[in-house]
Amino acid sequence: MAKEEVKNDVGKLTFEQAIKELTAIVGKIEQGEIALGDSLQQYEKGMALIKQCRKILQDAEKRIEKIAEEGKGQQ
Amino acid sequence: MANEQVKFYTVGQVTTLIKTTLENGLPGRLTVRGEISGWKGPHSNGHCYFTLKDEGAVLPCVMWGSNFKKVKFRPENGLAVFATGNIDIYEPQGKYQFYVDKMEPAGVGALQLAFEQMVKRLTAQGLFDEAHKKPLPKYPRRIGVLTSESGAAVDDIKKSIFDRWPCVLCLYPVPVQGEGAAEKIASAIRDVNRRNDKLKLDILIVGRGGGSQEDLWAFNEEVLARAIYDSKIPIISAVGHEEDVTIADLVADVRASTPTKAGVVAVPDAREVLEKLSSAQSRLTGDMKSVIELAEQRLQTICASAAFRNPLLQVRNRQQQLDEMGGNLKELIGDMITGARERLNGYYEQVVRLEPHRLIGRKMVEVNELTSRANAAVSALLGRAGLLLTAQENRLAGLNPRAVLKRGYSITTLKQTGMVLKNASQAQMGDTLVTELAENLIESKVIKK
Repeated sequence: MAKEEVKNDVGKLTFEQAIKELTAIVGKIEQGEIALGDSLQQYEKGMALIKQCRKILQDAEKRIEKIAEEGKGQQ
Repeated sequence: MANEQVKFYTVGQVTTLIKTTLENGLPGRLTVRGEISGWKGPHSNGHCYFTLKDEGAVLPCVMWGSNFKKVKFRPENGLAVFATGNIDIYEPQGKYQFYVDKMEPAGVGALQLAFEQMVKRLTAQGLFDEAHKKPLPKYPRRIGVLTSESGAAVDDIKKSIFDRWPCVLCLYPVPVQGEGAAEKIASAIRDVNRRNDKLKLDILIVGRGGGSQEDLWAFNEEVLARAIYDSKIPIISAVGHEEDVTIADLVADVRASTPTKAGVVAVPDAREVLEKLSSAQSRLTGDMKSVIELAEQRLQTICASAAFRNPLLQVRNRQQQLDEMGGNLKELIGDMITGARERLNGYYEQVVRLEPHRLIGRKMVEVNELTSRANAAVSALLGRAGLLLTAQENRLAGLNPRAVLKRGYSITTLKQTGMVLKNASQAQMGDTLVTELAENLIESKVIKK
């Protein structure tokens, strides 16, 4: 249940947000100033964030779109 | 004098003569080196008026707007220039003047001068201020590219970005050299900014490949500089070769020295990012392991403590302590009881010494005496009250109407109603009357009245 929530939350994040959060989590766990139960939760979330970042990178396409001046129509 | 036939010319004739002389005596086009002074222009129609001077002479000059438009630098007083054109008479004012159609600075090249002037002016206006420069987003998703569709730059930029990072490139084709190019790039930048809530571009790259200073000139024009300055989307300039620096480079938020470097500036390297992710993953796992190990160690330390090693001993120890304390308690209470008993005995002795029964006897005599005195006082009081009561009774008896009957009076009432008769008219013939005497009653009938 809680795990599902974490997953859903993470799935909505942009790459930038995910990286930011991941950095914060790694920092927190590294400092060891976190309760064991919390750290497990954070660890799980961190792993989900890493997965999400990889997914975003893999899903991202290398694509070219052409845009024109407004009024002249768009591709 | 008046009669003499003196040959005269009209003003028009003599002016034409001077014009012809000038035309015959001067080359049709000539280049003059001089210092600009008295600069007036451009007027609203674009024309400029000034003089060229050196130590001993001045030459009035005109430059029409159509020619002045092609001058890239800004002529100003004191600037030494080469001016090319033709000399002619300006008939309305009877003066000759130099019609300049081309002007070059005498020192550095015209474009170089124009560039330097622009740098000076725009620096003063704050267009290159570091404080105004916007940071680039770290992981852009959509990048706008403003360049020529046909040039090599577009492929260079595309390759340099796609080699590093997956994203969407939005190509906005614009002319990058020639008349009006700067205006078109500028309006494209403004256009994209206006529509960016839909286009959602994170970065704009404005650039072109290498070329001569003239080719790159569009990127030195003020109209483009202002559009770059005003852009809300961060702009990377990528113009020409490594050594070319344009006004656009100076005003852009970040400069890529060439189009092929645009990618390095604009986007992170996906490989590095993935590596970082892997290292974050292993750090996270490592950290997590050590957190758990630490917790385990703590747990072991706690388990190893005496309390957990021999829990029964702890209980026994407590029991022993309890026993000791219980023994102490018993002793303590025994002591307390003994002490209390001793104190009680002490009080008893004291009481006995006071001989309470004699004390009580004395008090009883006093009480008896007081009782009989009180009784006597009450009896006297009652006797007096009885006498008073009899006297009052006697007085009251005298007032009883029945007492009068003893003296022979009687009270007559109508038997029917019980009404006391005071007048003969109150009774009818035959009515039964009751007469109350001092002793008993008699009944009679009315026979006469």
